[in-house]
Amino acid sequence: MKDLVRQNLSIHVDVMDLLNKQIEKEAHSSSAYLAMASWCDHNALSNSADFFYEQAAEEREHMMKIFRFINDNGGTAYSPEVSGVNHDFKSLEEIFETALDQEIAITKSIHNIVGKCRKLNDYTTEYFLQWFIAEQMEEEQTMRRALELFDLMGTEGLGLKLLDERIPQIRNKSTE
Amino acid sequence: MKVLHQSQFFTSYQCDKQRCFFIEFPHKTIQLGFCQFLAFRQQVKEINLDSHFNGQNHHGLEMLMLCNRQHFFVFNTLECIDLKEFITGSFAMLELNSLLTTSV
Ligand SMILES: [Fe+2]
Ligand SMILES: [Fe+2]
Repeated sequence: MKDLVRQNLSIHVDVMDLLNKQIEKEAHSSSAYLAMASWCDHNALSNSADFFYEQAAEEREHMMKIFRFINDNGGTAYSPEVSGVNHDFKSLEEIFETALDQEIAITKSIHNIVGKCRKLNDYTTEYFLQWFIAEQMEEEQTMRRALELFDLMGTEGLGLKLLDERIPQIRNKSTE
Repeated sequence: MKVLHQSQFFTSYQCDKQRCFFIEFPHKTIQLGFCQFLAFRQQVKEINLDSHFNGQNHHGLEMLMLCNRQHFFVFNTLECIDLKEFITGSFAMLELNSLLTTSV
């Protein structure tokens, strides 16, 4: 019997399912960052707001990368539904901590898919995900740099204002 | 045409010549391309069987449209349970076939 699946699909079906779940996660990340941007805007932390707007756009790009990858390889990508986006925060520090937790969860999720690729010999997807592994490393580093600023400059009054001014510099120091 | 998998109510076939699949339902047989088979699989995966038993889905029916809305199906609870097994079984056979063709 012909291998019709392989003729149509370059990636493993089970891996495709996980990638579709990852699309949902990236979409959720994007919305979560947008909510954080809104909070920052309302609390006169405009640099942090810009940072999270950009972060939201990046997550959407990640989502689209995976989306295109699935469809380009003969699979079917599903447009994600996003629900349960949190808009309540008590401080900017809490926001960055939540952001770091979120990135760590995404890293784990990507690693989990890579593990599955290895088990199923899906080298195509494993290769595709290398970019995401590097990206996640950077994202975690960025959020950690933000949290370090809180240790350095405090979380209130003028300290917080000065901290907000430093936010544009925390991104991708290693690559630029 | 070769049988991929047979469950209580449904049977799937692969046709090498036309490079497509067939699914035999109790009252009709439909032809599907691979993408359509994938889409069918997704719809069946999304059926929430719990809702049939916890009162959320009162009538216990699921409606599925297949192949760009060419076909319309209504399945009852028993058929839905069987459908899940059927899809899992069919794709397991496809995977087994992939393994056999790559190892030869
Ligand atoms: Fe991401
Ligand atoms: Fe991220």
